Amino acid sequence: MLRLSLRRRRQLLPYLFLVPGLLWLIIFFLIPLLNQAYVSLQSGDSELGYSFTWNFSTYSDAISNYHEQFLRSLRFAGIATIIDLIIAFPLAYFIAFKAGRWRNFMLLLIVLPFFTSYLVRTVSWQLILSDNGWVVSRFRDVGLVSENGRLLATDTAVIAGIAYNFLPFMALPLYVSLEKIDRRLIEAATDLYASRVTAFRKVTLPLALPGIFAGSLLTFIPAVGDFINAALLGTPNQFMIGNVIQSKFLNILDYPAAAALSFMLMGVILVGIAIYARLLGTRSLTEAAAA
Amino acid sequence: MPNEDIDGIVERMLDGSEHSRRQFIRHLAAAGLLVGPGSAFLAACGGVKGEKASTQVSTTATHAKTSIGNWTFSNWPLYIDKSVLKSFDKKFGGHVKYVEDINDNFEFFGKVRQQLQADKPIGRDIVVLTDYMAARWVRDGYVTAIDKNNVPNAKNLVPELANIQYDPKRNFTLPWQSGAIGIGYDPRKTGRKLNSIQDFFDPKFKGRVSFLQEPYDSAGMVMLLQGVDATHANIDQINKAIDKIEQAQKAGQIRRFTGNDYTTDLTKGNLWVAMAYSGDIAGLQADNPNLEFVYPKEGSMIFTDNMMIPAKAAHPYAAETMMNYVYDPKVAAKLAAYIYYLSPVQGAEEIIQKTDPKLAANPLLFPTEEIRKGFHPYPTLSPADEREMEERMAQVTGA
Repeated sequence: MLRLSLRRRRQLLPYLFLVPGLLWLIIFFLIPLLNQAYVSLQSGDSELGYSFTWNFSTYSDAISNYHEQFLRSLRFAGIATIIDLIIAFPLAYFIAFKAGRWRNFMLLLIVLPFFTSYLVRTVSWQLILSDNGWVVSRFRDVGLVSENGRLLATDTAVIAGIAYNFLPFMALPLYVSLEKIDRRLIEAATDLYASRVTAFRKVTLPLALPGIFAGSLLTFIPAVGDFINAALLGTPNQFMIGNVIQSKFLNILDYPAAAALSFMLMGVILVGIAIYARLLGTRSLTEAAAA
Repeated sequence: MPNEDIDGIVERMLDGSEHSRRQFIRHLAAAGLLVGPGSAFLAACGGVKGEKASTQVSTTATHAKTSIGNWTFSNWPLYIDKSVLKSFDKKFGGHVKYVEDINDNFEFFGKVRQQLQADKPIGRDIVVLTDYMAARWVRDGYVTAIDKNNVPNAKNLVPELANIQYDPKRNFTLPWQSGAIGIGYDPRKTGRKLNSIQDFFDPKFKGRVSFLQEPYDSAGMVMLLQGVDATHANIDQINKAIDKIEQAQKAGQIRRFTGNDYTTDLTKGNLWVAMAYSGDIAGLQADNPNLEFVYPKEGSMIFTDNMMIPAKAAHPYAAETMMNYVYDPKVAAKLAAYIYYLSPVQGAEEIIQKTDPKLAANPLLFPTEEIRKGFHPYPTLSPADEREMEERMAQVTGA
C-alpha cells in the first residue's frame, strides 16, 4: 500500500472517481476507434484476408459510391428531427406547465414504448402501414394516397418510423429544460407589459434552447446512423448509410470500406454538431450537457 | 441469439410457434438486418494476409472407428427435426452439441476465417454451407476429406447432385438439403396464373415484386430468362442480368430485395409476386392455402447446402457417422417431412408415399422428373468474379 499524506489523497480522490469511466471509454471506445482507423486503411479481400497498406482510396471510393446514401441519411434524420421538435415541444410544454398532477403519468406514457423492443415497434409499423391496412385505405378515401399508391416502402414511411422511434429523445430533454424555467420570470415579463407571445418568445424559448439543442442531438445522431427503419419500412431507394455499413460488415465482409464509412459518418456528425453549436451559441452546448 | 434475423425474433416474440410453422428460415441474414457487428469486426482486426492454400488437402481420408464422444454440429436455424439428434445419440452414444449458428454464409465465414487461415480447429465437426461457400472452403483447403468407408449410405445421394463442379467426386461435401428458386405469388392479387420469370417484370405488378438479394439466386434466374445456361455463366452474362435487375429496380418495379423475409410481406399482401425458395412457400401454404409456388417454364436455380467436416475437426468419425445416419432413407424421410425442402436422399420419397401420400405428392418437396430437368445449380465462379458479382449486386440493392 502506498502511504500518502491525507492532503495528497484528498487531491487524488476525484481522479480516482474518473477511473471507471475512463477505463470504459478507453476499452470500449478509444481502442475500437483506433482499430477501426487501422482497418479502414487495409486492402485485400474477404476470402484471403486484409492487410494494412495505407490504402486511402477506400475513403474516396466510399464517397463516390455511397454519397447518395450519405445525403439521404442526413436528409431523413434532419426531417425526422424537425418533425420531432414540432411534436415534442408543445407536448413537453403542456406537461411542464399544465399537466399538474398528471405530469408523472404523462411522462410515463412517453417512456412506455421503450418497454417493448425497438424491432417489434418498427415491425408493427409494417402492419399499420400495410398496403391493405386500414390506414392506407382511409388515406385513399381522403385522397392523400393515390388509388394504387402505398405508404409502406416509401420515404414517408421511413421518415415517420424514425420520427416515431426517436420522439422520446426529443421530448424528455425539452421537458427537463422547460420544467426548470422559473415561472416568476414569465410573470415578470407579463408584468412589464409583454404579451404572452412575446413572453414566450423572449423568455421561455431562449431558456428552453439547451433542451432543444440536447433533444435535437439525441434525436439526430442516432437517426443518421439508423438502419432498422429503412430496412423494415423502406426499399433500396430508401436505404441509409447505416444499411450500407451493416451489409459491408456482415454480408459482404468488406471491413475496410465499412470502417471508412463509419469514420466518415462520425466526421460528418461532428462537423454538423460544431456548426449547430455555433449557431445556437456555445454557451448552450455546456448548458445542454448539464441538462 | 445476437445474430438472429428480425423477423425470426419477432415471430418468436409474437407467437412462439416456430416449430409448428415448419418453416425453415433460410438466408436470414441476407435480409440484412443483423444487430451487433461485433464478431465480424473482431474478425477484421487481425489483418493477417492469408496465404492462398497452395497445398491441396488430401482428397481421401481414413478415420478410425472410435467412440462418438461429445461433438459439434453447426447448422442453420430450423433446419432439422431435433428428434433425429436424440435418436442419433441414443443409437451411437456420445452427445451431439447441435448449434444453429449459421444465419448467412458470409457472416459465418467472417466469424471463423481467422482460425481457418491459421490452420486452427474451429470447434465444429460438421458445418452446413451453401454451394458457393462450400466451393470456397474446398478451394482454400478449409475442409477434411470424408472417409467414404464410414459413409456407405452416401450411395443414396441422388445422381444429379453426385457430381458438382467444385467437388466432382464429393470427397469433401455431402448435400444436406437442396431448394429451388421459383415464383411465390398470390393469384387473387395477380389476377392470373404465373409461369414465367418474365412475370417478375410485368408492369402491372409494379412495386409489388421482390427479388432475392443473393445474386446467385436473382441474377441466376434472370439469366435463365435471357436464355443463358446459368450454371456455366461467365461474369459478363452475370453482369448483364444484374443490369436488367437494376433497370427494374430504378423503374420502381422491385419493391424489396430480400432474404427469406419476403414471406411476411407476401402473406400480408404487400407483395404480390416474390422470388421465393420452394421450402418457404411449402411451409407458408399450411397457413395460407392461397399462396402458390411455380417452377418457371424457363427453369429454376437450385442451391444445395452441404455438410462438410472443417479442417482440423476433432471428431471426424462422429461427423461421418452422422452423415451416414441422415443418408439412411428412413431418417431422410423424417427430415424431409419436417424441413419441406428437397431431400438429396433417394428412397425418402418412397417412404413418405407410404406414411403421408399427400405430402409425397407435393411437387415442392418432390418435384417430377420433368421439373427436375429444369433445375440449374449455381455456377462455380473464380474468387475475383464472385467478388465482382457480389459488389455489383450490392450497388443495385443499395447496400
